[in-house]
Amino acid sequence: MFRLLTRKLYVFCTGLVLAAGSQFLQAQGQTQDNELNYFLDSPDTSKYAVIMVGPAVGEVNAGRFRQWGLSLHDILTRDYGYSSDTITLLYNDGDDSFVGGERVDGATDREGIVQALSELRGRVETGDQITLYLIGHGSGAEEEAKFNIVGPDLTGIEFAEMLDQFDRQDMVIVNTTSASFGFSAALSSEGRVVISSTRSPSERYDPIFSGYFIEALDQRNGDRDKNNRVSMLEAFEYARANVEQWYSEQGRLAPEHAGLDDNGDSLFTLAPGVDQADGLLAEIAYIDTLVDDTAGLSPQALELKARMQELERSVFILRGRKAEYLEADYWQQMEQLLVELARTTGQFNEQLN
Amino acid sequence: MSSLTEFLLNKRWASLVGAIVVALISNGLGAQDELLEANDSALYRGEQLLLNGSYAAASEMFQMADGLDRVDGLIGASKAYLMMGNFQDAQRVVEDAIDDEYADSPLLSTQLAEVKRGLGLSQEALQILEAVVSGMGDAPVRTLVQYGSLLKFVGEKEAAFQILNQAVQRYNDGLVFSSEDVTMVALASWLLGNFHDANSLFNEATRANPNNLEAHTLWADLFLEKYNASDAERGYQDALDINSRYVPALVGIARVVGDERSLQRALAINPNSVAALETYGQLLMMNGREDEAQAYFQQVLALNPESLRTLSILAAQAALNKKDAEYQDYLARVDAFSPNNAEFLGHIADSFGNNYLFTEAVEFARASIEADPEYWQGYTLLGSNLIRLGEEEEGKANLEIGFDNDPFNVMTSNMLKVFDTLETYATLESEHFKVHMSERDADILWPYLEPLLEESWETLTAKYGFEPEGPVLIEVFENSEDFAVRSVGLPDIGPLVGICFGKVITLISPDTLTANWQEIVWHEFMHVITLQMTGNRMPRWLSEGISVWEEREGRPYWGRSQGLDLVRAAAEDKLLPVASLNSGFSGARNNADLSFAYFQSYLVVDYIAREFGFPKLVELIYQYAEIKEDSERFSEVFDMSVNEFDAGFRNWITQRVNQINVYAHTEDVPDEGEGHGHGIRENSSAILAELYNNASLKQHMRSRIEENDRDFQAYLQLGIVLFKEEAFEEAKVHLEIAHEMLPSYTGYPSPALVLSQIYEREGNRAMQLQWLETLMESLQHDYGSAIILAEAALAAEDYERAAYYIDRAIQVDPYRQDVHELKARYALAVDDSQLAVTEFEVLMKLEISDPVEARTNLAEAYLKNGQVSEAKQNILYALEQAPSFLRAQQLLLESVERESAQ
Repeated sequence: MFRLLTRKLYVFCTGLVLAAGSQFLQAQGQTQDNELNYFLDSPDTSKYAVIMVGPAVGEVNAGRFRQWGLSLHDILTRDYGYSSDTITLLYNDGDDSFVGGERVDGATDREGIVQALSELRGRVETGDQITLYLIGHGSGAEEEAKFNIVGPDLTGIEFAEMLDQFDRQDMVIVNTTSASFGFSAALSSEGRVVISSTRSPSERYDPIFSGYFIEALDQRNGDRDKNNRVSMLEAFEYARANVEQWYSEQGRLAPEHAGLDDNGDSLFTLAPGVDQADGLLAEIAYIDTLVDDTAGLSPQALELKARMQELERSVFILRGRKAEYLEADYWQQMEQLLVELARTTGQFNEQLN
Repeated sequence: MSSLTEFLLNKRWASLVGAIVVALISNGLGAQDELLEANDSALYRGEQLLLNGSYAAASEMFQMADGLDRVDGLIGASKAYLMMGNFQDAQRVVEDAIDDEYADSPLLSTQLAEVKRGLGLSQEALQILEAVVSGMGDAPVRTLVQYGSLLKFVGEKEAAFQILNQAVQRYNDGLVFSSEDVTMVALASWLLGNFHDANSLFNEATRANPNNLEAHTLWADLFLEKYNASDAERGYQDALDINSRYVPALVGIARVVGDERSLQRALAINPNSVAALETYGQLLMMNGREDEAQAYFQQVLALNPESLRTLSILAAQAALNKKDAEYQDYLARVDAFSPNNAEFLGHIADSFGNNYLFTEAVEFARASIEADPEYWQGYTLLGSNLIRLGEEEEGKANLEIGFDNDPFNVMTSNMLKVFDTLETYATLESEHFKVHMSERDADILWPYLEPLLEESWETLTAKYGFEPEGPVLIEVFENSEDFAVRSVGLPDIGPLVGICFGKVITLISPDTLTANWQEIVWHEFMHVITLQMTGNRMPRWLSEGISVWEEREGRPYWGRSQGLDLVRAAAEDKLLPVASLNSGFSGARNNADLSFAYFQSYLVVDYIAREFGFPKLVELIYQYAEIKEDSERFSEVFDMSVNEFDAGFRNWITQRVNQINVYAHTEDVPDEGEGHGHGIRENSSAILAELYNNASLKQHMRSRIEENDRDFQAYLQLGIVLFKEEAFEEAKVHLEIAHEMLPSYTGYPSPALVLSQIYEREGNRAMQLQWLETLMESLQHDYGSAIILAEAALAAEDYERAAYYIDRAIQVDPYRQDVHELKARYALAVDDSQLAVTEFEVLMKLEISDPVEARTNLAEAYLKNGQVSEAKQNILYALEQAPSFLRAQQLLLESVERESAQ
């Protein structure tokens, strides 16, 4: 009940500040709910990725984990503007003697992780975004849940302590390991998006979630709202739905259920969204950096762009208040906004041409 | 809470304390067992022998008991004789010991009455029990319950309930202690309809004395009556674990699992066991061995002329065959000892239902309820049979009455649960059909199911000159347990995927199958015609044979291509005589047997159509509308005896086998598949060749070919091994030989499939496609090949072929996006805007990753099809989620402009 009241209040506040026209509100008008200014989507910030691929049991798993790590590296570089400077790939024992091994920056052992994070700490600025991808096996449950690395395994609590140094950065953790739940729960923190491929300690088999999460990023497959960007929420939704369908097609009960937590309560929501307990931050946590595309625009084009942004925000606000309207009134207002937005976009594009 | 239930709760503590005391005493006594053994009483030894199943020795030992043990010893001896079927001595030992008045020897008299009841002398038994009960103040609990049970059996329900309640009251007063007497109170509760109490009391009785075989078995009987097979089986097994020669439990196991060996064992121990003989007869009848069954039933009636079950089975047979006088005779025999017996009528209703004669089943079920409005099974029978007639509302209402009064009946509760599922389903109607299906199936399957149903109606009604009564109700279940429960009342139905009841068809949703669902629908609708042509009196073999035969008539690539199985069956002389083809279904031990029963039935129909002409087939169907012997039917239609017909069929088969001209090696097993013969059948030998290719296998196959150059499987397996070794040219030679030998072979993997894969590996697209086309000429269950061929045809702008293979893919799996994307592309290519709308609508339902794109595509299709309003609403849905999506914005402006122009 408290959450619902809070949310409605924010919608109201959003209406009041509309006139300010902050360009950071592009991400669906939810930033006003973001009191502490997490994930402020600004062209001035940088985004970093740390991919940790743990050792694998068996050749099949080893091949799969390696492929996921390399694919992720390549997709972030190709589709999201990352470079080898902003991606750290830790792989198994650090062995890079395989095709594509030049991407490897170190070993997924305790020392390698500490060193990588330490180096990263020296480079990041306030407001930058760090995304950590954990690929491999996990084991144990609750506080004893571990990410299997080379050497002594890492508990969630230990890893959380390592991440404490990034208290001025936005952080996303995508834990795709088996038995990931206990480990992921320990990482939960206010202003942090944590995605776990399993929702309970009893889900212990190697999940297929990781493959679909990477597929969501690949060529922006997960871009549901067609803004040419992929948010963590969109990628999560894409992977979750495909995992569900995969097991359904196999006629099997799913032994894995991914969850997302972004309100810091360690409770993972299976179907997060802007109207759910979790989802608000994940929706504005984009993989890529916002590009400032206003350079060189004519004053008229700038004015049209501002109008487009304002209309988009109005659409999001109206959508957020859908329950308060009669169905017909809602769609009438929505149509007006969308038609105007379409026309304004058309005029803007003509200006560009 | 009933007073009994309250008392049970209180008694739990007493039982627990009692159990602890017994355990302590037992431990103390355990050390002295050996010392006591030599001095054990005859009664104790007799009881041990009885418990171990040494009935002859027990009967002797019991009779040696004397003094205070004498009465118990004589009763034990009588029970031991009964276990061996020796009624005479069972009666003698107790009768001789009874003093002048029955009431003076209550327990001996009760045993005597039980023996007499077992011999069908209910009136004599009643007199004895009545004398005991009226002649003494507090008759033993066993006497009361046996008396009450017998009173109920002879139709004196009110008096029965009064006596049975006395037994229950005795328990409530805390005066029943022994496990044996608690068992009797449990039985009393059961007979009173208090099933929950009965269950608790049987539990108490077996805990108080785990060796109480009667309690274990009666408890299991209660479960079995409620269709709870697993608990029933466990109960019988518990008894058999104690005494593997306990006949009632052996019979019980046979009733649960149909195990003939248990019955043979039971009859070896007790050749006069009425229950075993009765059950054996029923098993034989189910397998079509009616003459043998009759002999068993006559034996039962000779032993016990009041055997209600046997009389009801025989009466049902008479009624099924419209032998009214015979039926009336059986009815009169039952009325003589149990007037207006509801259970008797219920059994007959059940028999009619099992024989697909649902209208008659409903009549008998109604009569059973009229005879006893508290016969709750009657409501279940009435409800379940009404459902099979499509009378869902009344059916459900009766099931609810049954459930309210007998919630333990698993069949009733299961069937009601299916109604809960059905409430979430959509109902769709076409001209001749009414269909219940899930919302998902309504969205995705219905666009393809509706035209198929109407095509099957048009084609098959015209061909057979018969219009079934409609609308035909079809229920498509997503959950196979719901399908099974709706079909047979219980959640396990084996490999069946569709069942026709005449006016009602139940199907498993194609979403849970890997098979050609259209072929299944066509097959089932053909049953509607043959069943209704004969008033549901078709024998299964002919009905299935015609339905399979019509698959091939429906589409040339439907039906069963089991040439190799035919060759194997002929070589092993496994073809069944036409007269006993039904036993191929009822006696099938595995999927392969069942599949072959379908295939042979199809062959008989094919033989009739080819050799005698289609009108003779129709004539034969109508013969089954009348009640007569098969010999008469065959004589009238074919002017020959069944044996002569069979001989002709076998000659025809021999010719067919000669034409096929392949050799089936004995080391290969028949192909086997799921789905009732619908679906891909796997060639396990060839699959193994694919997995374990090695030099020795290759050498072995070469030697087989040297031995017999028509060894199809050897060529196929050798070709597969060579393919795995990438010796493509040599592999092709062997696979092409195999294909030429048996071009219609459709097992997995087939020569054509492997050849297509070889050409794919060689990069020869044209030959790959050519072999896939060859494969698809006979194989109806292959989705992937259809998609490859459809894509190739679409790329080549050969739209006719593209449409054909898209349809072939949808016939197997309409739930996959790629086939609908292809069909949508096809629709756009041929400018069929209505079809495009249909496909984009389906894609919208299937899309999980990119709903905005799917919505936009659908809106565009609507716009092209002139459905501006639908287009605008869908584009608004898309833009609501993705307001900056440029393509959608443009479509919105276009739809708004066109709306204004309108």
